[in-house]
Amino acid sequence: MFKNIKYTLIGLLTVFKHLFKKPVTLEYPEKKKFSGENFRGKPIVKNCLKCGTCIRVCPTGAIKIHENKFIIDLKKCIFCGNCSYYCSQNAIIMSSNYELATNSIDDLKLVYDIDKNEEREEEN
Amino acid sequence: MSNKLKLNLGPQHPSTHGVLRLILEVEGEKITSCEPDVGYLHRGMEKMAEKLSYIQYLPLVDRIDYLGAFSYSELLCRNIEKALNTELFPRVKAIRVLMLELNRIASHLLWIGSFLMDLGAVSPFFYAFREREIILEYFEKVTGQRMMNNYFIFGGVRRDIFALADVERFLKILPDKLNDYENIITQNPIFLQRTKGKGILDKETALNGSITGVNLRACGVKYDLRTSDYLYKDYEFTPVVLDGKDAWTRYKARILEIKESAKLIAQAIEKINQNPKFEQDLINPINLILPEGEYYSEIEAPRGLASCYIKSEGGKNPYRLKWRTGSYYSVNLLRRLLVGEYLNDAIAIAGSLDIVLPEVDK
Repeated sequence: MFKNIKYTLIGLLTVFKHLFKKPVTLEYPEKKKFSGENFRGKPIVKNCLKCGTCIRVCPTGAIKIHENKFIIDLKKCIFCGNCSYYCSQNAIIMSSNYELATNSIDDLKLVYDIDKNEEREEEN
Repeated sequence: MSNKLKLNLGPQHPSTHGVLRLILEVEGEKITSCEPDVGYLHRGMEKMAEKLSYIQYLPLVDRIDYLGAFSYSELLCRNIEKALNTELFPRVKAIRVLMLELNRIASHLLWIGSFLMDLGAVSPFFYAFREREIILEYFEKVTGQRMMNNYFIFGGVRRDIFALADVERFLKILPDKLNDYENIITQNPIFLQRTKGKGILDKETALNGSITGVNLRACGVKYDLRTSDYLYKDYEFTPVVLDGKDAWTRYKARILEIKESAKLIAQAIEKINQNPKFEQDLINPINLILPEGEYYSEIEAPRGLASCYIKSEGGKNPYRLKWRTGSYYSVNLLRRLLVGEYLNDAIAIAGSLDIVLPEVDK
């Protein structure tokens, strides 16, 4: 009986100690955490040579190359980073952008114009 | 007329950590039979391997057990390294040990939090997740993602390790935090009443049921695959073996195992610092063809022995790939453990076995 009271008190004191500590959480929309340079977020394509290595290592078949359009389907993409790692030209870069929620399903289809070498996000 | 009542536990019960359905038969408050119904999370992990090339399959392997992802990608990598006779360099080996053990700590911390949550204690859940967050942030920094890391590749790792000071800082604060857990939980009278003497798992049942990992070591069998693993060859540690057999012992064994893992991490950091040059002999995975034959490797995953078997017929995809996971056998064990116990204890006993459902259903 005495032992039970003792250990309950020890437990309560330990929990009480934590009352005076700083919070460890972030107020998300106001404050954002930088996830590091290696973070695998939204893929960005530049200077592609159309060698097709990325298509062969992609586990879900999210990448398609049509003539001069490089298309990544974010509905299928699992952000494994295989395409970026095995690209010999470093043409695919996984950016640190993780806020990919949109109102329209068409926004999830990333279309990059390979000849222009710049980002275009409009639907195909 | 029988007084038996059929009762469904799950599949959406929060304490089953996934979608596990237990069909219980109760007589009053006592459970007379239990039938686990698995397969709600089946994704065809083994069949998928037959259609994909090895490098395409590698990221998916992390999803077999999302809490111990490194163990499974290590298994697939190890099988392919074995098949192609590739040796790892000492620094890469040490990096792999470091990541595997950090992963084990993260997994056990999550278990402690969720197990106590099942029993109705909320504070330990937040404390455990706070510490786990440090590990996950480190994973995010090095590998690029918090959970599905996809960091090990055939013949090495994706990039050199850095920010080891973060890990050292974590190791420094860990004993203090574990002390806190023990103060709150270990001798708490309510916790003792709910776990001491509940879910008795004796040696024979465990061995006959192919139970491995912490659950087996908590009933007095010294069986830790890390003692014979080639990655852990030069490491010193003592496997945690306790002889208590009940849910409380399994909790205690996991706390002690975290301490052992911390020791292994400290040694791994030492080894990484001893081999400052980062070099690796990578296997080119594009057009990778395994020679004909059968390959098998096993490892001590956070939830028991995990193994991977590949039969190759010389093609780009395996002819057959089979996973052995620890949780699958733990779920089967519920058939025996729950019989004769009270319904109130069912959650405590099922929780104490550390079941992760994606690992069961594959």
